[in-house]
Amino acid sequence: MYVEIKNLSKTFGNFTALDDISVSIEKGTLVGLLGPSGSGKTTILRSIAGLETPDSGDIFIDGKRINDTPAGKRGIGFVFQNYALFRYMTVYDNIAFGLKVQKRDKKYINERVRELISLIGLDGLSGRYPHQLSGGQKQRVAFARALAPNPHLLLLDEPFAAIDAKVRKELRTWLRETISKVGITSIFVTHDQEEAIEVSDRIVLTNQGKIEQVGSPLELYRKPATPFAAKFIGEGTTITGYFQLKGFSQEQGYESALIRPEFTQVFKQGKSLYPHMTNCGVVQSSFFRGNSQELHIDVQGIRIIADYSLEEEAFQIGEPVDVIVSRLFLLGDDQVLAVENQNLKNVNTVVI
Amino acid sequence: MKRQIKANITKILLISTCVIFVGVMLVVPLASVIVYSLREGWQVLAKTVMDQYTIKALQLTLYAAAIAVVFNTVFGLFSSWAITKFRFKGKNFLSTLIDIPFAISPVIAGLIFILIFGRIGWAYDFFNSHDIKVVFAVPGIVLATIFVTFPFVSRELIPLMHAQGTDEEEAAALMGAKGLSVYRRVTLPHIKWGLLYGVILCTARALGEFGAVSVVSGKLRGKTNTLPLHVEQLFQEFHLTASFAAASILVVIAIIILILKNIVEYKGKKEDELHVR
Repeated sequence: MYVEIKNLSKTFGNFTALDDISVSIEKGTLVGLLGPSGSGKTTILRSIAGLETPDSGDIFIDGKRINDTPAGKRGIGFVFQNYALFRYMTVYDNIAFGLKVQKRDKKYINERVRELISLIGLDGLSGRYPHQLSGGQKQRVAFARALAPNPHLLLLDEPFAAIDAKVRKELRTWLRETISKVGITSIFVTHDQEEAIEVSDRIVLTNQGKIEQVGSPLELYRKPATPFAAKFIGEGTTITGYFQLKGFSQEQGYESALIRPEFTQVFKQGKSLYPHMTNCGVVQSSFFRGNSQELHIDVQGIRIIADYSLEEEAFQIGEPVDVIVSRLFLLGDDQVLAVENQNLKNVNTVVI
Repeated sequence: MKRQIKANITKILLISTCVIFVGVMLVVPLASVIVYSLREGWQVLAKTVMDQYTIKALQLTLYAAAIAVVFNTVFGLFSSWAITKFRFKGKNFLSTLIDIPFAISPVIAGLIFILIFGRIGWAYDFFNSHDIKVVFAVPGIVLATIFVTFPFVSRELIPLMHAQGTDEEEAAALMGAKGLSVYRRVTLPHIKWGLLYGVILCTARALGEFGAVSVVSGKLRGKTNTLPLHVEQLFQEFHLTASFAAASILVVIAIIILILKNIVEYKGKKEDELHVR
């Protein structure tokens, strides 16, 4: 393990930012620290960087305990949320700053800065000041500045938060590609699940100062370990009385269930092929979602949200429909049980 | 149309009120100081200005102001750095304490020093045994000036540095830059115009200080008399023209400082427009 955090705790006054956290990160991966605000993700990042001193616990990088190493000597590159570019320095001087501090010779600095400026695609803009750059360009400069001194580890604090939606998508892809090109172990903080899923190799999901789950984006989506993880990743509605749905029975210790739009299929009344697992419902409202239609359906008092293709014949509000639910995440106190529709299983065996 | 006329009337009213007020309250009195000092001709003015006591008083005023400005600049840099860039207990309290000289009457400030260093003061014996005279001597005047002008530089810098936040410093520190180098290369460029502005304000205040200095000075002509005190003394002795002549020196200094202040403000603003957007 390249970065190893052991039993890290940190409080700010009465607020517990980190509560005995342990996590390890492999070399060469791009890890997303995902969680709602106040969940401790930024505190983890700042503790690794040395900008925050943990109350207890150890941080190891490449096998060395770095708790007592000052921030400037940890060999870490840091990209700040609002860039934190030196506003009284040009793009060139911003990127060269770290190298000048290391007292590298001028020729090397010049070469390295030129190389980075072309890596971030800002050739010809080296003499500009930060205020003369767009948000995306500033972010790229901040990235290059962090990379300049050849850090072993790159930390990014909400790298896309201050950028408008359209550029953000483009920059995400760019960052992902550039990081894999440079091949540096990177950790970034985000509260946006879509961003985390799209960019990271692995996600560390935090909540209230604790780690809920660590895994690949797909693992978190498919096998959420905790009710929080199930609710935070992907879309879904929480329902009670899930056992009234056909094909599901009550499980001990699981009071409610999470149902995702992708778990449900909606048919015009009487068009369902499997009557023995079809629930009757009524369309309550529908929303146009750009590439699909979102239906809110009342199934015997259970409110279900489903996506419906725009290619099919549209539903009217108040229209009775057939609903098949294929899977559910049953939510316990702190565990999640994924269950398939039992009747669906039977169907499969029959077909085979 | 109507609305525009209304807005115009408001504008004209506001501007003329301001101009009249400033004119009556500030410009006319200041101009009359100069006019009055010239009442008996240039010779009298020149004579008073060149008078050895006046020159001594001017020297002492400049001397005390210079020390106060240097001291308060250094203190202002340190305190604003500490208050804005670090977290510690009692920070708000400290920042309130710095404001005391703003809130307190200068006379009280002067009395404080009498109470400490005067014949009845607890520090008197110590300094007396070392043959150092504080009260009714130059050190007392310097101390009083420092006290009164204490918050000027830090008050100017604290909001500026607050607005800047700590991100840039943290970024520099993460790349291995040491504290002083971070301050010089990242913090100082940001605050330099504000700093200059604070220094100018502090200088103006230090040169004009009357209340506190008047208590501790003892007003010995040619020894512990500052220029503002000298003006008052001449006035009390009914040397009206001479008094106004001495005062005109202060007025001229004030005008020079105002011009400097405006230049600094203008330059600072121009640079801000360039960098902070």
